[in-house]
Amino acid sequence: MTTDLRISNVSKIYPGCIANDNVSLQFKSGKIYALLGENGAGKSTLVKILSGVVSPDNGEVFLNEKNLKLSSPLDAKKNKIGMVFQHFNLFETLSVFENLSIDATEDNESLRVRVNEILKKYNFSIDLDVPVLNLSAGQKQKVEIIRCLLRSPKVLIMDEPTSVLTEQETEELFISLKKFCDEGILIIYITHKLKEVLSLCDEVAVMRKGKVVSVSQTQNERVETLANKMVGQKLAKIKKKINISKNKDEIFKVKHLNFYSDDPFETNLVNLNFSVKRGECLGIAGISGNGQNELFQILSGEIITPDTSIIFRNKEIAKLNPKQRREYLMAFSPEDRISQAAVPELKIYENVALNNFKSSNFFEKGLVNEKKIKEHSKKILSDFSVNTDNVELKSQFLSGGNLQKLILGRELITAPELLICYNPTWGLDVGAINYIHETLIKINNQEKSTILISTDTEELLKLSDRIAVIYKGKLSKIMPSEEVTPEKLGVLMGGGSID
Amino acid sequence: MIKIEKRNDVPMALYFFTPFIAIILTILGGGIIFYILGFNPIEALKFYFITPISNLYGFSELLLKATPLCLIAIGLSFCFKSNNWNIGAEGQLTFGAIVGGGVALLFYNQEGFYILPLVIVAGAIGGMIFALIPAILKTYFNTNEILVSLMLVYVSKLLLDYLVVGPWSNPEGFNFPETRQFSDSSRMPLLFEGLRIHAGIFLALAAVMLSWFILYKTYLGFQIKVSGLSLKTAKYAGFKGKTMILVVFMISGACAGLAGVGEITGPIGQLHRMISPDYGFTAIIVAFLGRLNPFGIIFASLVVALTYLGAETAQIFLQIPKYTGQVFQGMILFFLLASDYLLFFKVKILNLKKNELRH
Repeated sequence: MTTDLRISNVSKIYPGCIANDNVSLQFKSGKIYALLGENGAGKSTLVKILSGVVSPDNGEVFLNEKNLKLSSPLDAKKNKIGMVFQHFNLFETLSVFENLSIDATEDNESLRVRVNEILKKYNFSIDLDVPVLNLSAGQKQKVEIIRCLLRSPKVLIMDEPTSVLTEQETEELFISLKKFCDEGILIIYITHKLKEVLSLCDEVAVMRKGKVVSVSQTQNERVETLANKMVGQKLAKIKKKINISKNKDEIFKVKHLNFYSDDPFETNLVNLNFSVKRGECLGIAGISGNGQNELFQILSGEIITPDTSIIFRNKEIAKLNPKQRREYLMAFSPEDRISQAAVPELKIYENVALNNFKSSNFFEKGLVNEKKIKEHSKKILSDFSVNTDNVELKSQFLSGGNLQKLILGRELITAPELLICYNPTWGLDVGAINYIHETLIKINNQEKSTILISTDTEELLKLSDRIAVIYKGKLSKIMPSEEVTPEKLGVLMGGGSID
Repeated sequence: MIKIEKRNDVPMALYFFTPFIAIILTILGGGIIFYILGFNPIEALKFYFITPISNLYGFSELLLKATPLCLIAIGLSFCFKSNNWNIGAEGQLTFGAIVGGGVALLFYNQEGFYILPLVIVAGAIGGMIFALIPAILKTYFNTNEILVSLMLVYVSKLLLDYLVVGPWSNPEGFNFPETRQFSDSSRMPLLFEGLRIHAGIFLALAAVMLSWFILYKTYLGFQIKVSGLSLKTAKYAGFKGKTMILVVFMISGACAGLAGVGEITGPIGQLHRMISPDYGFTAIIVAFLGRLNPFGIIFASLVVALTYLGAETAQIFLQIPKYTGQVFQGMILFFLLASDYLLFFKVKILNLKKNELRH
């Protein structure tokens, strides 16, 4: 029996963003489908709708022409839609079998028989009585897959399944997926890795800004054509900047940056080397989760790595903490503005005091100089056009854009020589984005440098002088942005090479 | 179906009001327990909460019991505010008392104005050193401070036990497990003739003022506040996380050590096995009931001290064990946590029928 899944005119609008805009797609069993797109393209929302986590504002989902009204994950399970999320939902301290038996409807004996059948059939080697915490990421994923298979699914959705896998595990996964497909399970494979799409999938739907922009057979596609579709034709770069002369001195130099982590959800960084010139903006592109978090924390001094050399204005700063780095006139704007860059429960002036730079006199002889902090905060609020002048306001009442302006203002008021920012406009409205882009360009024009780590290719092409791409913890060669096309970026971000 | 959601905006006024709700609920709960036990609840509650402080002596006893609770809770507030869970104040109190008491015993046959300050300082240092153990293990070996500080309580109590029956026991004491009496110069001056309330209360009040100043007016206080709200932000701002852990534990240990010394140089006057009716543990309740606010802690220490006194009165007049005091302390914490939960989260009862229709 064939399975036919049809998504019809599905829309989902979140405040300030259209996550899915009238999406219609059709899937038939016997094929593996790829759903491709950048961060924020709307893949995750669509998947959440299919798995019942989110209800669409408009539109319907049909399975074999039956209208599914998915209002909870349970509904999706009942309708034989299985889902393997990027982050595993397993109890680490329970054994594999205990994890599988939690939501099983049969008794343990018959469950064990069926699990063993599945293990045998697909050649999975997993010890059922071992605690999950002893398994590798690939094995944990297999447990999740077995959990889906136990319900004999008609549809299996895999969300970025290879992000935590090794090459070997990826290959094994692909073999299993092809087997499932041959047995008539409809497979939807969500990814941003272009090569995987080409090697595994039969058909590919590309999403961009909530819309499906193309559906095609993968045999007609190449890495470059897919990249182009994924990233899209970006606006031509607006040349607002004073050109950097080639022989400006390098004020920031990173050598041998390596980072190794035991946590499978962190990315290891492998031998990054780069430098930033005075007045330059170095863009670091990449799909999120490829090491940007780790890179930002190492550059800001939150993580200290041995053997790394970071030279800033001719001084070695690799062993200094963020506060000490600030004293050398560096500034940092992290991605997570709500729980890292600022504390929502603190008042605006208290959040300003977090950047307690040397000449600020915020804390004289260890005592709080509230008057000084408040004066200073008032100046930031007006200089960076934050829409309040009440420094006693808790920052949780600021909108995202205003909070980001406050944070940038706090970081820039010291006139830093280098600002490192990570997704500075993430989730903001157009007005705030423009304001922040103008601010970043202004800094460069004042001969100050910036490092812009961003998942937004449009932003990178607009602001950067040179761009490198980070993929799986490795940095591509650094290219002058005149030579960079959206297509090239897309290929590199998807793990391809361009030479 | 029940759904629990976080409330977006919790009014500050209500945040400071819920401890009162918890106290009222505790009294109601206590009344119900008394009723079930066959007592007239009004009568029993009167013995519990009013009789003990109906005369001057009772009131001085209230202050006497509130003093160590307040001191320890003030110290704990530094730890708790910065996300460090020091559960071992009882151990720090005991070790402070051992070190302070040791100094007092050195001078057992001497008099001099300098002795009491020496004893007090020794007690504070003792508590501080004992609190440094979990702090150092946490910062350098990533151990869990809850477990380490808790286990050290038993270490200190056994050490005290060993000392009072062994090397420090009173040679003229007929093998009772106690040391010599301290000399008068090692004793806290009494404030009033005939009452047990002593100068230790000024130490507690000084701690309140000082802690208010540190927490709200200094860079250290600011760092403690930020770390408590978001460790990620503290890291990003470049606060010296390790140093701060050591400092808050030292403050906390010193306060507990002072409380221990206050007890042995105040009402007790020597070292023996039972120097504290678990003040160190009860002070955890005091700290939270007082919202980790220095002035809130004064109020909370008085309320909780009353449960100690009430339990003693109830034992005398109603012949019920004084351990009911712990029941009341437990109820206070329970009702406080429960009302906090309802304060920060709202419980929605979803209409099941509507959901079922959809299927």
